[in-house]
Amino acid sequence: MTYAYFFGCVIPSRYPGIEYAVRWVTGKQGLNLDVVDIPEFSCCPVPGIFYSTDRDTWLALAARNLCLAQRGKMEVMTVCNGCYGSLLKATEYLSEPKRMGQVNKVLSKVGMKYTGIAEKGEGTRRIFRPVSVRHFVDVIHTDGVMMELAKGIKKPLSGLKVAVHYGCHYLRPTEHTAIDDANDPVKVDDIVKVLGAESVDYEDKLACCGAGGGVRSHVVELANALCEDKFKNISSENADVIVTPCPFCLLQFDNSQKTFTKRGIPVVHVAQLMAIAMGADVGKLGLELHNVSCNPLLAKIGMVPK
Amino acid sequence: MTQPENTTDSKSSEKEAIGVFVCHCGTNIGGVVSCEKVAEAASKIPGVVVSKDLKYACSDLGQEEIRKAIKEKGVNRVVVASCSPRLHEFTFKKCVEGAGLNPYFMHMVNLREQCSWVHMKQPEMATAKAIDLVRMGVERSRLLTPLSPREVTVEKSALVIGGGIAGIQAALDIGEKGFKTYLVEKEPSIGGHMAQLDKTFPTGDCAICILAPKMVEVARNPNVEIMSYSEVVDIEGYVGSFKVKIRKKPRYVVEDKCVGCGVCAEKCPVKVPNDFDCGFGTRRAIYVPFPQAVPLKYTIDKENCLYFKTGKCQLCVKVCVNEAIDFKQEEQIVDLTVGTIIVATGFDAYVPLRRGVYKYWEYKNVITALELERLINAAGPTGGHLVRPSDGVEPKRIAFIQCVGSRNIKLQHKYCSRVCCMYSIKNSQIIMEHSPDAEIAIYYNDIRAFGKGFEELYHRVREDYGVEFIRGRPAKLTKDPLTENITIRAEETLLGKITEREYDMVVLAVGLTPAAGTGPIQKMLSLPVSDDGFLQESHPKLRPVETAIEGVFICGCAQSPKDIPDSVAQAKAAASGATTLMIKGKHIVEPLCATVTPELCLGCGLCTDVCPYKAIDLLDKDGQTKAVVTEALCHGCGTCAAACPQHAIAQLQFTDQQIASEISAALGMNNGAKDSAGGA
Amino acid sequence: MGEVEKVFISGLSEKLTEDKIITEKDLDSEFATEIIRYGGKDVMTCLQCGNCTGVCPISLKIEYKTRTTIKYCQFGMKQHTLNTRWVCATCYRCYEHCPADLNPAEVMIALRHIAIREGIIPPFVKAAAANLMQFGLTVKPDEAMIKERVKMGLPDLPQTKPGWSQVRKEVVAIIEATKYDRLLGITSKEGVE
Repeated sequence: MTYAYFFGCVIPSRYPGIEYAVRWVTGKQGLNLDVVDIPEFSCCPVPGIFYSTDRDTWLALAARNLCLAQRGKMEVMTVCNGCYGSLLKATEYLSEPKRMGQVNKVLSKVGMKYTGIAEKGEGTRRIFRPVSVRHFVDVIHTDGVMMELAKGIKKPLSGLKVAVHYGCHYLRPTEHTAIDDANDPVKVDDIVKVLGAESVDYEDKLACCGAGGGVRSHVVELANALCEDKFKNISSENADVIVTPCPFCLLQFDNSQKTFTKRGIPVVHVAQLMAIAMGADVGKLGLELHNVSCNPLLAKIGMVPK
Repeated sequence: MTQPENTTDSKSSEKEAIGVFVCHCGTNIGGVVSCEKVAEAASKIPGVVVSKDLKYACSDLGQEEIRKAIKEKGVNRVVVASCSPRLHEFTFKKCVEGAGLNPYFMHMVNLREQCSWVHMKQPEMATAKAIDLVRMGVERSRLLTPLSPREVTVEKSALVIGGGIAGIQAALDIGEKGFKTYLVEKEPSIGGHMAQLDKTFPTGDCAICILAPKMVEVARNPNVEIMSYSEVVDIEGYVGSFKVKIRKKPRYVVEDKCVGCGVCAEKCPVKVPNDFDCGFGTRRAIYVPFPQAVPLKYTIDKENCLYFKTGKCQLCVKVCVNEAIDFKQEEQIVDLTVGTIIVATGFDAYVPLRRGVYKYWEYKNVITALELERLINAAGPTGGHLVRPSDGVEPKRIAFIQCVGSRNIKLQHKYCSRVCCMYSIKNSQIIMEHSPDAEIAIYYNDIRAFGKGFEELYHRVREDYGVEFIRGRPAKLTKDPLTENITIRAEETLLGKITEREYDMVVLAVGLTPAAGTGPIQKMLSLPVSDDGFLQESHPKLRPVETAIEGVFICGCAQSPKDIPDSVAQAKAAASGATTLMIKGKHIVEPLCATVTPELCLGCGLCTDVCPYKAIDLLDKDGQTKAVVTEALCHGCGTCAAACPQHAIAQLQFTDQQIASEISAALGMNNGAKDSAGGA
Repeated sequence: MGEVEKVFISGLSEKLTEDKIITEKDLDSEFATEIIRYGGKDVMTCLQCGNCTGVCPISLKIEYKTRTTIKYCQFGMKQHTLNTRWVCATCYRCYEHCPADLNPAEVMIALRHIAIREGIIPPFVKAAAANLMQFGLTVKPDEAMIKERVKMGLPDLPQTKPGWSQVRKEVVAIIEATKYDRLLGITSKEGVE
């Protein structure tokens, strides 16, 4: 199965280290998955703005991205909860013929048409299945890949206490996402364990970081207040690092902590942690670009801080 | 029974003389449709000898007109164009029969619900439609067949499945009326869930105190045979003669010899959690479920008995003076034939989800209401002293959470369980009586205190006991790791604030779900099931205890969640329905069934696959396999007739030819050779 | 105790107003239907149990209560919901817990749609949409980050390549086709190509 990278907006322009980590982990030096780039991908579009203000526009922009994957018959692999939620929901809306028709009218203006990916049906009948949108964590957490991951650990992160923050659009609403159990998710915890680290349980683990839905952009104090709650719960378990599968949650943790504490906890993306454990060049993971210093993290795992 | 065979032969060899009666129904029809015009148009149809319009066809005067036409004018097919057959079909059938004509030669055309009432603003078009409808009816009437209803004998014995309060009451009533009743209960004792309760609302009567006398009474009744520790495994047949197979599970104790002295249980070394006490108490491997058990006979639990597991022990054998233990006892299959069946299989309490919001499986001090009943019951595992599971200390601050497992679309339990508001109110009163300094809060969505004495009790717990009612659905439960106290976070909607309060113990007011034992019985009898999963009654308003299967009645919580007085009332109603059948000794089966033409039948069995009522079977007839309809089970749905690839099955009174004749008439096409009187 | 004393000893701390009664002229009877049109489910089925508020992280921090917003929607009090439309983080916890299978987060989304169409447009929305039309992404590329990317050996950002103008054109075409630009009052000419 060929996956098309979907990096979204935040990673390439704010945290390029995550992009490096994802490319490294999925590339030839890492798990060697079949991945390609589609440079024509645009913004997913960001749900907090477009889904909130005009569903038709949101759907058309999302459908455009899906059409690009449809051409190559690929599965879209997102590295961000927001992109995941946005594109997945789009595939569901597009499974209604009426909706698909409306969207295709708009897409015809740019010479595109969403149909889904054709599968061989009976005789001349063709069945179309929706374009498949997968989250990076879901792609990694399949039996074959997890085994490869376990074999590829060069630097086990033993002794590292990780607080996993799943993020809202990975978990909910359950009828749409269904990657993991909304009350008891395990996939990122499993990955952390395979990397040799310890995933600590903390109060209200599944709570929102406060950034989504436009809250960080509109009322940043409120977003910071929610983040502070998470910080209090995490720090009472003495975690060394916060790991999340969403760059927007990462941005929130990275920028918000300075408003309420002097001793912030470093936060990294799942892919960055994987890259460290699999022996990638730590200097290329962009950790020095993070606002909350990652030096304590590097020190804890016995690496020289940059 | 030498009853004439029902066929599709419409006896059209005799000269037809059709009578058409168009009813005004006051202004219901007459105010929109011109009945005179309709009657006039009908009189022109070949074969119609009488065509009248009547003010009220169903009145004595109207019916007299119809009878006169039959007796004096020789009318032998009657078309009544009036209201829906659901209202007066029976009236007109009886009227026609009274004049000496087979009632199945009467056909009704609906000019009210299907014409005047839906086209009130268009009288001319409604009249034209009425004329068309009557013409269709006349064409069909030419093809009606003279059917005769069947009579089946009804055995004067009843089977009651389920020995809870509903089953017990039903068996009592039927037994009192003099009919043999088999009361089958899967547990070692009758009594059901009512025996587990502490006190009942609204009066505070002790549950077992009012139940035990009934249990004894039903055991004493000479007409009632209690088959405890038994299950119904198969039911065949139809109303009046149900063939039932019952499996009597082996107790390993001879019932005739056991006197219930209990010495065996005192000596038995095995202790296991007691189901009756919801796992809080223990019992021995040889046990009675509770002291007032009926029958008071001990039962050995094979899975935990040391003898069965290791071949050792046998202490019970040593101490039993009546030599009642028999490890070699085997299960018995009993075959019975009964005339009527009452299903009273009751409910199971809702079990909260694992990893659910209320953390029932994770926090020891979160319990269900049924568990609470055992903890406050004087005969329970703690002797009636309410203690909390984590440390055995008496809880002072207790919260009830309502609507657990009910009124929740996400869980697919959309219904309200009806009893939870009242039992929480009742339980809070009991707890306050025991410890007057306790503080109780009930988190509710709505309080449903609808019955006799209910609102008064609701008022009393607020006034006399200071129970606090908090409107809000708890969002989060957390536990203090040291004290194991539970904190509930909820938005108190009437305050408009999110609050967190700490409690020593939390009780979940769990709802009622259909009992696990109902499923197999439902399948055996092909009983319809409502959306909520409970057994479905014939009519929600007017026939609450009858079912679509003749001779089978339902009552109690098997039909829907309800409290004890409602269960008792339904049980009495079901018993009344059953005894009506049994007193008559016979039952009339409507002849509107499917009928098979054996010559055309290939024996493919497709009809047997699609029949929802198991009313058609493949039988061997003179070396050939043919489909045969059991008329008493057939509901006349027509599915087999539609499915038969050979067109070998016809649905009496709704044959292909009859329906086709109506369609042809509607389309203005004449029915082939039938445009003159008579003709085949 | 202090507040109460102030009220009763030194007179009223609130100004007397006209009768505080809400009548039909304060209400919008079509509000609930409008919400369905913009994707919220029927708010009239809400039982007001308050579970959504209890799980909402935003309701804990500010006066806003999820349940009350739904109540205002049921009642038709459009004006009262004006200022609460942009605080929902769309975490969907409310939807997960609602026993009536409603989705308060989607109702908030519908309210946002309505607000936009009444001209209440938060600046960040306009800015992000303008960025999208200008750059094809909602986040402006950062010069410093582009340098970092080179250091890491990452491929050039697609936005810096010539083929990107086609992407931008398509995005703009879509936005213009759905008239989103007119809705928000932005144009593609706001920035440099």
